Amino acid sequence: MSLKQQILSDPISEIPLRPALTLPRSATVGQAVDLMRGAKLGCVFVVNQKDEPIGKFTERLLIHLLLTHPRALDEKIGDHMAKSWAPIQRVEPIARLIDLMQGLDLRFVCVVDDHGRVNALTGQKGLMEYIAERCPRQVKVSRVGSHPYMIQREGA
Amino acid sequence: MAKRQRRPAPQGEFHDPLSDYGDEFADPLEEALVRRPISAIQSQPVAKVAPTDCVKAAMRKMDEQEVACLLVIEGDRLVGIFSERDVLDKVAPRFDQVKDQPVRDVMTPDPVVVYETDSPGSAINVMAVSGFRHVPVLDVNDRVVGIISPQRVTAFLREHFAQTA
Repeated sequence: MSLKQQILSDPISEIPLRPALTLPRSATVGQAVDLMRGAKLGCVFVVNQKDEPIGKFTERLLIHLLLTHPRALDEKIGDHMAKSWAPIQRVEPIARLIDLMQGLDLRFVCVVDDHGRVNALTGQKGLMEYIAERCPRQVKVSRVGSHPYMIQREGA
Repeated sequence: MAKRQRRPAPQGEFHDPLSDYGDEFADPLEEALVRRPISAIQSQPVAKVAPTDCVKAAMRKMDEQEVACLLVIEGDRLVGIFSERDVLDKVAPRFDQVKDQPVRDVMTPDPVVVYETDSPGSAINVMAVSGFRHVPVLDVNDRVVGIISPQRVTAFLREHFAQTA
């Protein structure tokens, strides 16, 4: 099956998914920052009592907040979250993920279960890993000012 | 990806086994990932900052230009990247202490790069292997000519679906 056919037919669950970080809207921005730093992830989803996403907080929002409202780290995340977020289910095709990310300019997409509850996180990094695993080749990893070294990437 | 399939040589004739392959790629997307120039997925111009610029000014540039990272250029040489992740890890916990310091103190030095002679597929592999979402593109003289970002890769994939649907 060609790469294009795989992207059109493979479900989201074929992409390396990550556990989603969630917080209630009453948590502070500082708590979100600590959670993101600990998990090395750039996004926290804000959820209601049913664990359904109602917003998100990202690294980009953090930069804007630090510049315009540096005391916001002690304030509620519900007052500073972005209300634009996109849900997707594990069974939907990867092509839809690409459409969502490109059409809505998203870096992160929330994977939800049948009841609309947060289930996992996917996005740009997972998609890059999916593509790379399907076009394995010798990769030249170069750093500025040093000699390149080779890594043989043999897919998954 | 599809395996390369060699056509059989005609009887009694010399045949260079390395010169006559059938269709190497299963679809135009795979071919584009290998054969297109890296300029097909790189962004220009790139957002830059000097290593001596202060952290707050760099963050303001990221916020105003809505970019996820700045290339740190000294003279005409790339010396680092200052990214959203650097803000999360190194700036946010002590913003008041570092906001007036030079970017050099909090940037990621010696970034992973690709060269303009590489293919889009190789660049995507480098992103996957290194874990960096943004990879600068250099020319043969090690000068920055662009940057690869996931947004441009997804745009490339989507454009390709539209072209070949």
